[in-house]
Amino acid sequence: MANTFGISGVAKQAAMSAILDAKALKAALYLVSGTTGPTNATYTATGELAATGNYVAGGATVTNANTAGLTTTTAYWSPSASIVYPANMTSSAAFDMVMIYSTTDANRNIGCYNLGSQTITAGLLTLTMPTNDASTGVVRFA
Amino acid sequence: MSDVPLIYTSKGNLPEASLRFEPVWEDNPDFTKFVARYWLDDEVVKESAFVLSKRGVDSSAIAQSFI
Repeated sequence: MANTFGISGVAKQAAMSAILDAKALKAALYLVSGTTGPTNATYTATGELAATGNYVAGGATVTNANTAGLTTTTAYWSPSASIVYPANMTSSAAFDMVMIYSTTDANRNIGCYNLGSQTITAGLLTLTMPTNDASTGVVRFA
Repeated sequence: MSDVPLIYTSKGNLPEASLRFEPVWEDNPDFTKFVARYWLDDEVVKESAFVLSKRGVDSSAIAQSFI
């Protein structure tokens, strides 16, 4: 049996808990033409879908009843329910990204996720979350 | 009187029979997406998307060596 090296699992879980547990989160949609991403420290309205056609600036509320989990040395978290945008939405143009951000912490950017290019016309947009575990959680510190 | 199913579209409520339904599936390592698209002639008048995220994103925590 040899020693092993690395950041401890509990440290990763604590770091994740600090930014996610019990935080108020939102999910904003970004245009295909945008340049927003993980380098943005906070939510930005630049490149966001226009607030028309029932889309609300800032995006939809994220249900957050989960706390950061830990399996071995991977911390993980996912929203606790699907993200559902307003009914009968019509997007102003094609979008391909959703940013999850924390309104509790001055709109801190948590992560940016690929949706593929999409438009919505008088319809619904629902984002169903993956299994909340160390392999597929929406946020993972491995 | 017979009821005619109506669907809400960008043109208001239209009889379902007047629309052409186009289901679209997209599958890749990040997500599976189902798009329900309704056409009125050559115009999309209703389009919904249901995205199943398959995985989030991970970030590696790197422990620097002291040597």
